[in-house]
Amino acid sequence: MADDYNIASGFVSSALRFPEHLFLADSLNSFSYGQMYSQAAQLAGHLSASGRPKRVGILGTRSVEAYAGVLAAAIAGAAYVPLNLKWPPQRIAELLGVLDLDALIVDANGASLLTEAVLASAPAIIVVADKAAPLSPVPGQTITRFGEMDAQPLAQPVPVGPDDLAYIIFTSGTTGTPKGVMISAGSLASYVEESRPWTQLTPDDRLAETCDLTFDLSVHNLFLAAEAGASLHILTPLDMLAPARFLRARDITVWMSVPTLAATMRKAGALKPGIFPHLRLSIFCGEPLPASLAKAWADATVGGRVENIYGPTEGTVICMRHTLTEPPLTTGERGILAIGTPYETMTVAILDAQQKPVPDGLPGEIALSGPQLAQGYLNASPEQDARFCILDGQRWYLTGDLGMRDENGVFHHLGRTDNQVKVKGNRIELEEVEAHLRRACDSDGVAVVAWPLLDGVPQGLVGFCTSALTPEQITDALLTTLPRYMVPEPVHVVATLPVNINGKVDRRALIDRLVHEQAAPATARNLEHTSEGKP
Amino acid sequence: MTQYASASVRETILQILAERKLGPAGEHDPLFSSGLLDSLAATEVLIQLESEYGVDLSDEDFDISRIDTLHSLEEMIEAQPGPRPG
Repeated sequence: MADDYNIASGFVSSALRFPEHLFLADSLNSFSYGQMYSQAAQLAGHLSASGRPKRVGILGTRSVEAYAGVLAAAIAGAAYVPLNLKWPPQRIAELLGVLDLDALIVDANGASLLTEAVLASAPAIIVVADKAAPLSPVPGQTITRFGEMDAQPLAQPVPVGPDDLAYIIFTSGTTGTPKGVMISAGSLASYVEESRPWTQLTPDDRLAETCDLTFDLSVHNLFLAAEAGASLHILTPLDMLAPARFLRARDITVWMSVPTLAATMRKAGALKPGIFPHLRLSIFCGEPLPASLAKAWADATVGGRVENIYGPTEGTVICMRHTLTEPPLTTGERGILAIGTPYETMTVAILDAQQKPVPDGLPGEIALSGPQLAQGYLNASPEQDARFCILDGQRWYLTGDLGMRDENGVFHHLGRTDNQVKVKGNRIELEEVEAHLRRACDSDGVAVVAWPLLDGVPQGLVGFCTSALTPEQITDALLTTLPRYMVPEPVHVVATLPVNINGKVDRRALIDRLVHEQAAPATARNLEHTSEGKP
Repeated sequence: MTQYASASVRETILQILAERKLGPAGEHDPLFSSGLLDSLAATEVLIQLESEYGVDLSDEDFDISRIDTLHSLEEMIEAQPGPRPG
């Protein structure tokens, strides 16, 4: 068994040990390990009818069907590929065209995205939630309901090697197309091995799932909870707006989210001291974690531990960790927590522009090396592939993040080296949005900036362009090709764009313009509409 | 014409649906859990509940799933003491 890297093995052994134990609860239903196992085994059998599948798409999230899809793909020895429900059908159809999937698992919300064009690019085997509206397959395609499957269940996970793919998760890309990060079963096994000692999950743990399957923090929760026999409690999009009640109602013991979610709770007055007595471990990831927020969160627990973790999708979820201390260890004047020290199996370096290590205390690009590195990007361009490189005979991933190692060997995060930004936990490359804006406004003169900034953290995007179209027409066009969170709001149509000394569009000048507008009394009326806090 | 206790927040929701060309919603149609409306729209509804209806969003008993349909919103607001605009 030691040589078997099937990523569902932990789940299956827990299901055999604790069949009655709660595995997954969404807003309406609860599923025990036994129930989920029989559902996943049935689906795995269906997916394997004509041999071992290679890749299985998951058009769904936060649902029993989506999780059954992930586990079934894993049992059958396939890589799972979550597709974001926030993507417009056109983008999903394009992705399906290049993914080479053997099958697609669709939950009730995902089914509403199965337009004719999407179905035309979808694989031959589709399994949809029982609740989905009637669908018409294209010739050669079969659409089966979960309740209709009659294949022999595949109960035993098929043997998988360390180099077989575990999953492909998409991140933002510079060319206007998302990049598919390919993570092997061996990388995931190494990740789980390194994450087990500091999370120490038990069958009594109750984990909150705040993330969609398209965000790789969900990988951490799912595979660590499943091997431990713990339960996953999925927040609905509505629960995400009032998470404190959810945390209390479900007696959550382990929490993981982006800091923005905690900041929202703090602003709403929900982080009262001691309000989360069951919470023993809280993990924040994906954005800078302000020390004051981490402390307020720690005070809302009773002796609970707070962890700040760091890592790009390309390094299998995360590979650095820092435990909140008293007083907190912060990064210079920024007031954010350090990102800590690397996993023992991973090497982290700070490199200059020539990819040479810089001395401690100086900033440079964070580079990672070790068993958690992705195999690469799906169908990558040479430029994308260059992020993975060989230095002194060792394979590295250049994160594009700026960082610094202090004199005690603790790492700190200093922002992005390029124009990749994080807005509310979504990684966005400004150039990607600009590529779409350029098409939507039918003009070359475009710029997108991250704005407004709250404590230096972007809260949204604002677009500028020279165009004959109205902002409304441009926004409508953008919504057909981009998920809403990537569409700038507002889009300003301007006569000219400011340029810098090299003749490039000057984003800095645009941000200055927004700063001035915000300060000007003429826009006071607009500010009223974004009023915060209580009346 | 039915007089809704939730008239003004109902109007907001129907307006957002119209703006996004999503058509009207039935009394029991899930608005948010179905993915029909996103969290931005939900935030608008929550701000209105707080500012116009005096709903305390940080109350431990505030059940957010009740904003998911026009029907449950009406029920929630009917049970809410205090002023009722619209």
